[in-house]
Amino acid sequence: MSAQPPSSLSTDDAPPVAVTNATSELKQPPAEKPSDIRRRGYVILSFWLIVLLLGLPIWWKTTTIYRADLPLQEMLDWSDGKACRPVFPLRISIQANSLQDQEAQNLLRLTQHALDDLNDFAGHHLRLQLSPPLGDEATSATNNGSALTIRLSPGEATTATLDPYEPTLDITYPPNNIPSPTASSSALATYVASQLRSTFGEEQATISYLLSTNSMPSEHRPLGLSPETVESLAKRTTRSLKYSPTYHLTFSLFTSGALPSSWDIETAIEEYMKPVLDVLSPIHNFTIDTQVQLYAAPGVQNDVLQKQDLSSFINAAEWPLSPSIGGAPTINFIVFVGNQTIVTSPESESSQSWLIPQWGTVYLLSQPWDTTHVSTETLKQPLLTFTSHLFSLLGTPQSGSLPLRLSTLTRIRSADLLLRASSTLGSLARLALALPSISIPSSVADGVSKTMTHLRLACDNLGGLDGLEHARIAEAEAERAFFEKSMVGQLFFPDEHKIAVYLPLLGPVAVPLIMGAINEFKAWRKRRREKAEKGAEKKKE
Amino acid sequence: MRQFFFSFFSLISFISYSFASSSAGYHEQLVLRPLPLSALLASFNFRSNITVSEFEAHNFRFFPRSLGQIIQHAGTRELHLRFSSGRWDSESWGARPWDGAREGGTGVELWAWLDAETDEEADHKWLTLTNALSGLFCASLNFIDGTRTTRPVMSFQPEGDHIDATDANTHLLYGVLPHEVVCTENLTPFLKLLPCKGKAGIATLLDGHKLFDSSWQSMAIDVRPICPTGGECVLQTELTIDMVLDIDRSKRPRDNPIPRPPPGHELPCNTSKPYHSHDTCFPADHEANQDWTLSQIFGKYMKGTCPLTDPTVPPVCLQVPNSRSVYVSDGVLEKKNLDRVSRCFEISPDTNFEMVLPSPSNDDQVVTDALVKPETPLLYAERSFTGHGQERGGVQTILRNPSPDIEVEFIYMESLPWFMRIYLHTMSARVQGSKSDDKSLIQETYYRPALDRARGSQLEVRMRIPPASTVFLTYDFEKSILRYTEYPPDANRGFDVAAAVITILNKDESKTGRFAAYNLRTTTLLCSLPTPDFSMPYNVIIFTSTAIALAFGGMFNIMVRRFVAADEGPELGLKLLKSKLRARIGGLFAKFGKGNKTQEEQDKVTEPGVVESKE
Repeated sequence: MSAQPPSSLSTDDAPPVAVTNATSELKQPPAEKPSDIRRRGYVILSFWLIVLLLGLPIWWKTTTIYRADLPLQEMLDWSDGKACRPVFPLRISIQANSLQDQEAQNLLRLTQHALDDLNDFAGHHLRLQLSPPLGDEATSATNNGSALTIRLSPGEATTATLDPYEPTLDITYPPNNIPSPTASSSALATYVASQLRSTFGEEQATISYLLSTNSMPSEHRPLGLSPETVESLAKRTTRSLKYSPTYHLTFSLFTSGALPSSWDIETAIEEYMKPVLDVLSPIHNFTIDTQVQLYAAPGVQNDVLQKQDLSSFINAAEWPLSPSIGGAPTINFIVFVGNQTIVTSPESESSQSWLIPQWGTVYLLSQPWDTTHVSTETLKQPLLTFTSHLFSLLGTPQSGSLPLRLSTLTRIRSADLLLRASSTLGSLARLALALPSISIPSSVADGVSKTMTHLRLACDNLGGLDGLEHARIAEAEAERAFFEKSMVGQLFFPDEHKIAVYLPLLGPVAVPLIMGAINEFKAWRKRRREKAEKGAEKKKE
Repeated sequence: MRQFFFSFFSLISFISYSFASSSAGYHEQLVLRPLPLSALLASFNFRSNITVSEFEAHNFRFFPRSLGQIIQHAGTRELHLRFSSGRWDSESWGARPWDGAREGGTGVELWAWLDAETDEEADHKWLTLTNALSGLFCASLNFIDGTRTTRPVMSFQPEGDHIDATDANTHLLYGVLPHEVVCTENLTPFLKLLPCKGKAGIATLLDGHKLFDSSWQSMAIDVRPICPTGGECVLQTELTIDMVLDIDRSKRPRDNPIPRPPPGHELPCNTSKPYHSHDTCFPADHEANQDWTLSQIFGKYMKGTCPLTDPTVPPVCLQVPNSRSVYVSDGVLEKKNLDRVSRCFEISPDTNFEMVLPSPSNDDQVVTDALVKPETPLLYAERSFTGHGQERGGVQTILRNPSPDIEVEFIYMESLPWFMRIYLHTMSARVQGSKSDDKSLIQETYYRPALDRARGSQLEVRMRIPPASTVFLTYDFEKSILRYTEYPPDANRGFDVAAAVITILNKDESKTGRFAAYNLRTTTLLCSLPTPDFSMPYNVIIFTSTAIALAFGGMFNIMVRRFVAADEGPELGLKLLKSKLRARIGGLFAKFGKGNKTQEEQDKVTEPGVVESKE
């Protein structure tokens, strides 16, 4: 706007005839001083400098959303299973006191071969070792590291029995079955291998099922699970509760009338349930409470309960079955005094109890109508049912002896927690990528790094109680990071709000600034062109 | 007066009796007391015990498990929770039931003694407790935060037997939510805590429609340890519901609840008035409508008794003079008490209990004796706001001691929200009639000032009021302005200020063993604060932006523009367009025209345009 037409400089000395433009007849203002032009340039420049160097950083600083640095790639690696390959190296010691060392070594080698031939799943590997013969103390010392001890002893025929109290497999063999040092295969070795495989078959299937349901890359994914096995495993995993170090057991006596109003639950638990809880104590802690609730009408009033009635039997609106406070999940065991029976299908027998997945068990106890007190003996059957249901609610495998089932439970739970924590990490990473405007507080980054440390430790110690503990911490930390409260609120701050706030101020301010800059730029270009023309004229002259 | 003493003694004996029976597992009792002005007070009381050893082993029988777990989890020694609504009309209804010990101010009130090493730990446990109770009772108790929590110093004493009651590790916290509306969703979880639910016994009479339709109601939950001499300590839960039903309103059929004026001949008139005639009626409401049946009042019969209840405690008692006849259903044994103003009913477990109270016969003498005369309370209290405007205000409490010869000593406690800033120096107490304030009235003051947005102010005053006198306790306060986001929805309604708690000290503590002789609460107040227009932030943004943009644009242009005379500047707007068009047309003419036009002629064509533009 301040540009002076080149002709105006020469209006005084050039005749008007030379001008062809119609507007040139205007009276032209006097030439502007170069210092004014320079000053105008400085003014515009300084405004722009203030805006760019002061305004912009302040705006950026005050409105930016804090996003802590997350190791996104590593997190995705974890969830894709690239960071950790869950391997459960199970050591199995062979105790063959009656065999020569040489013979035993040979048998071990052959059995290991047979095992490796049978096994198609790399994640679950059985490794045999020879335990030093005799000496109870030595045996118990090695037992700590091994998942199972095979005790070989000569006998009449080839038999295998699992010891119900210790993780020991007793195998007897006819003495002539010992393989010769040169034999490449042996019936005994194959037999031992197949026994081992059947003992650990369920564990293997469960772990491979867990891996397959998670987003593990295909090369780690074991194949060969039949659909029926998958279905039964899926049923079992949905039935079991989420892992927690502590469970809260609530025993409730419900009755639809006024009687009975008391029960000997304390002694009954002590007698029938406590031993099992003690066995489970390395993996889980339990707290127990009991209650008596009278006048609790069930949701279904029929005397014969069909299968579809079972889901509505629990009268959730009226029965005080609120979960206990504190972090531990609650498992409900309900004894309902009433004369109902369960008939699921016409030909099957009536039963007394049913299990509600991830929730607990209901046991229907029929008592004479005037019973005022339920004795310990009456409670024996309900509590034994509860105990067996507790195992399935905790996700314990069904086959094998108790110690084996428990050690299997540890491994399954570790794998489960590990996968859970990894997939939570993956979800968090994907969330952070998908929502660029979400804030990520440093506590989340902290939780993620803790999770990864513990995941690494868990992955390295898989199979033991240490691994379980680390996996548990990792899972808890991952959940905490994912459900960070301050992350959720930012999701709902829409962009329209920002426009509504910025536009009234920035619009009117920005227009003169930009127009000024554009005009000044145009004038500068014009001046340069003129100078260039003048220079050219001078050169011509 | 005689009757007054009789009823007083009966109450005392009743209380001491019920405390003595505390070792039994469970008992429940309903006391019905007709009140003047066709009102009926129904007091439901349920009490269940658990021995401390069973409690620690988590074996719950009569004691509700959900409550027990919360108490254990939050390390609570003693708990008191109140849900109340309505107003107790002490002028006509007299003294409060339970001497006011089982009621709270309007809304929700909670106080508890917690086991904690430090104040922070106590706060943490308090948070756990309020959140858990909030879930259990479907009430907004989780909104009891730091600003609504106080630590009373003088007003409360534990009711139970604590081995180390004065221990430094026991913290008393008190929280109040005056805005909370108590309704049916609070009653349902309350009934779930009872061993017989609402299925048998007196609890069958409890119905949300009737309870929350009453003129005044209060639900109380008290948990306290009781150690009988020589026995094992028990933890006692006492659930109490007191309600004052309007008999007229309760008798309205449920399918036709709209009140209609009765026809003229059915109006109860006071015939003793000299102007009473066929077309003039002075309503005789004092003794009117004193005939009712249980099923009319509560909408249903009482279904038997709870089989767990202690058989030595009669489940229903009625406090009317013995001269009145009461009809009950079969299988119910009526026992008149020695005090001549109350009777109790023994009910067999499977009977439906119905009670008919016919209207007293027309004999004048009987009419005046139809009701037990209400006991006079030890103190009347009323609280109200004074002053005007949005900036300052005052609070005035009128305390009246009705007794002709006994002095009353009490503690007056206010827990005020932080946005009411008290001027403590303006606090004064004066006896009615005298102009200046009387320094001897206020014995002791405890004041904990508010911190903005962190805690409310707490004021506890120990006062003494001489016999038969009225005292005005006043103080001024300033209203602070809240932040935009701190206003609740419907901010123009005002902010509820919790009831003041008045605890009348028991002079003779050895007699009944209680700290407070009588408790009462004033009504809540509604404080209106300056409320902004809530579209304000956007208005402010637009307004300031416009102002800044105007100022900036002007300043920027002044600094950047070059000023020239009007005829020297470039043409702008329409004129520019016009001249451009003209030049274009001129150019066309020049091309297609005769071609012999000289340069001068062309100039002549353009000249008038310039002249025009100058005009």
